[in-house]
Amino acid sequence: MATDSRIERARQRARTAKTAIGALALLVFGVAFVGAKAHAPGHAKGKAKPLGAPRSFERAVHRSVVQGGQIAPAVQPPPVASSTS
Amino acid sequence: MGCDVAVAGGDPDVVADVLERWESVFSLFRPESELCRVNRAEAQVAAVSPLFARALGVALDVAAETAGLVDPTLCGRWREIALAGRLLSRPPSLALDLNGVVKALAVDDAAGTLDAPGFVSVGGDLAVHGPVDVALPADGTVRVVSGGLATSGTASRGEHLVDAATGQPSESPWEQVTASGASCLAADVAAKASFLLGTRGPEWLDERGIAGRFVARDGMVVENDTWARSTREVPACT
Repeated sequence: MATDSRIERARQRARTAKTAIGALALLVFGVAFVGAKAHAPGHAKGKAKPLGAPRSFERAVHRSVVQGGQIAPAVQPPPVASSTS
Repeated sequence: MGCDVAVAGGDPDVVADVLERWESVFSLFRPESELCRVNRAEAQVAAVSPLFARALGVALDVAAETAGLVDPTLCGRWREIALAGRLLSRPPSLALDLNGVVKALAVDDAAGTLDAPGFVSVGGDLAVHGPVDVALPADGTVRVVSGGLATSGTASRGEHLVDAATGQPSESPWEQVTASGASCLAADVAAKASFLLGTRGPEWLDERGIAGRFVARDGMVVENDTWARSTREVPACT
């Protein structure tokens, strides 16, 4: 019986040790994961931005290219002429 | 720019400085211009100035918008050009010609310096600051209320507009096309594209709500629906 009790206590210690090692490993992995995400150069901290012109500029140009101007009947002798150059 | 310049409502010296800045970067007749240097470069990737990148970006947008009718390569290869910020990538042998947009961009830039109602006109392409009455090819006048007005065609420089699909001078039935735009750039692109589209030009402009006036080779004047609607005299109330 005494032998059984000693074996049972040993098993209990082994279980406790395994649980502690597992928890420690999980903690180390978590800390390393967060640390890598925050500091490693290969990990983007912010949202990626396109290298091209800002969207606002592209929108302004696009609008300008497709939009007509405003004209009306002339009312005075013209000071300037439009012609091919 | 080798064209007549007219200014009203602003300082002519300031306008001249703005135009000279564009000319010094984009002239194909000055070997030291940035455009000539880029065209001479043998590397596939080149760093360009912010002004160059801006103009090339606009030229590529215009090419996409006009399905390649106004093309900075003049040979239908504009899709081979990539621009990321100030880095330009293109096949080393592919020369750029930004004349399709640069003059109009310069006019818009110069018009931004006007401090009173007036206009900037370079070679007949103009941007206004306040309403301006303008004489048109083949005996006409129009009031440009806002934006710009431009004329493209063969009347002055001959067959200089190239059809990018064929690489040959255009065989458009029009001699001159005048278009109104929200800016001089918009007007110039509309005029060039509708000239190159030939008989489809008036309809192409109408689909975009752009007023266009076409002078045929025999002198006949055709106004698209948008132009006719905009310039119709409204009877005075009695």
